Amino acid sequence: MKHWLRHQKHALTTALRRLFSQPVVTLLTALAMGVAISLPSALYLMLGNLNRLAGDLPAQPEISLFLAADVTTVQKGLIAARLKQTDIAQARYTPKQQALTALSASQDLADITAGLSENPLPDAWVVRPQASTPEALRHLAGELGKLPGVAETQLDSQWIERLQAALAIGRTGVWLLGGLFAIALMAISSNAIRARVLTRRDEIHVSRLIGATNRYIRRPFLYLGALQGLLGGLAAGGVLALAGAMLRAPVAHLSSLYGANFQLLPPSGTEIAIVLAITTLTGWLGAWIAVTRTLHQTSAPR
Amino acid sequence: MISFSQVTKRYPGGHEALSSATLAIEKGELVFLTGHSGAGKSTLLKLIAAIERPTSGVVSVSGQNISRLSQRAIPYLRRNIGLVFQDHKLLFDRNVIENVVLPLDIAGFDRREALKRARAVIDKVGLLKREKSNPVSLSGGEQQRLCIARALVSRPALLLADEPTGNLDAGYAADIMAMFRDFHQVGTTLVIATHDDRAISALGGRTVHLDHGKITEGAA
Repeated sequence: MKHWLRHQKHALTTALRRLFSQPVVTLLTALAMGVAISLPSALYLMLGNLNRLAGDLPAQPEISLFLAADVTTVQKGLIAARLKQTDIAQARYTPKQQALTALSASQDLADITAGLSENPLPDAWVVRPQASTPEALRHLAGELGKLPGVAETQLDSQWIERLQAALAIGRTGVWLLGGLFAIALMAISSNAIRARVLTRRDEIHVSRLIGATNRYIRRPFLYLGALQGLLGGLAAGGVLALAGAMLRAPVAHLSSLYGANFQLLPPSGTEIAIVLAITTLTGWLGAWIAVTRTLHQTSAPR
Repeated sequence: MISFSQVTKRYPGGHEALSSATLAIEKGELVFLTGHSGAGKSTLLKLIAAIERPTSGVVSVSGQNISRLSQRAIPYLRRNIGLVFQDHKLLFDRNVIENVVLPLDIAGFDRREALKRARAVIDKVGLLKREKSNPVSLSGGEQQRLCIARALVSRPALLLADEPTGNLDAGYAADIMAMFRDFHQVGTTLVIATHDDRAISALGGRTVHLDHGKITEGAA
């Protein structure tokens, strides 16, 4: 155990020394890794933010009922009675005159509404049902649509559902992209470590002659790969922080145009830790592949 | 300690470096391998250190059959063998003491203990004043002494030297040989490949002569 710890410590210090002995190579490799891993990470963050945006919107779906132009007072009464039943959480009536007034109040449309000879808008109900599952909502919308005097129903949750579906595709995309870039990361690490292994051929050869095990030779390179991966992860963090800083103002501006107060959410501590762990692990794996391959190629006894 | 039984080593391409060699070396012996270059001296040493494997026959060192030794076991065999190379095989990216400490690092020694032992060996080969120098700045003889220090630092029971004085002038060569005599006197088994006849006569010991891969004298 003491032996083992001593070997680990020795390997770690050796790895650190090698890392700093070629600072430019180290920096460039870290940047390459950082840029590679920042792409799926950025996509992940973007989706998280979009998801939150969808979540901020009225989570409770609404059904709009537009009444026919020739609806009778009796029919109106029946509809109102139906909407008082227990499966409806809330129902709000907007008579067509009120809708037109609201429309005229909006500056840009005032001219248009002033030119109208009669009110083209229908009377409408905005209904908030108790149920929230898509099937129940569709069922209710269908039932309300069949009431006499109702011209059309519209399920407002539809676009949220569509957004959610799109986000689900996006999430799958993130995993796919993440997997691909992890492979790329491993390749980058493997190449970088291979170059370092080749420059240390003599040392490896001599070490073997005087009794070094493959594990002894491999160990510092594995640490080197892991450290390189960690630096790559940190570089990715830097890239994302920079991108976030640059996007903050435009996003705030856009959300203010929508009258919302939406701000970009930075990644959580756990998410950062996971990305760093993944880059470290892929760096380690890449190094393992590179060193093991080279060790096999230069295997001493014939 | 070392025994060769009908050992043949054929390199890829068909060159037979060693043919049916049979040889026994006892613990504590001092053995010179002589013969023209290409006679198979280096091959014989490489077979002992498991750097090469025999094509046929059995090489055994300290009772272990080298041909049957697994890849994993070879490093542990080598830790008990000190190797001195004609071309030194020093590492020029580190100073003298770091070169000597390498075998102890590999064996997992405590760093402070390792440095202490390395310094003692460097003192023995007369390089203590140069311990912080880069091996590049050493003369040929000093580099060879450094190589010997590295071979000895782990106190091996067996020392193999391939033309240790090959590139050195007479004065340096005598120095090195005197050093080998000292190790022989403290019980180390030495196998030295050389064609330095003066050294052989000065040190005494057994001579094994090789000619075109065949042992022609001193086999027993």
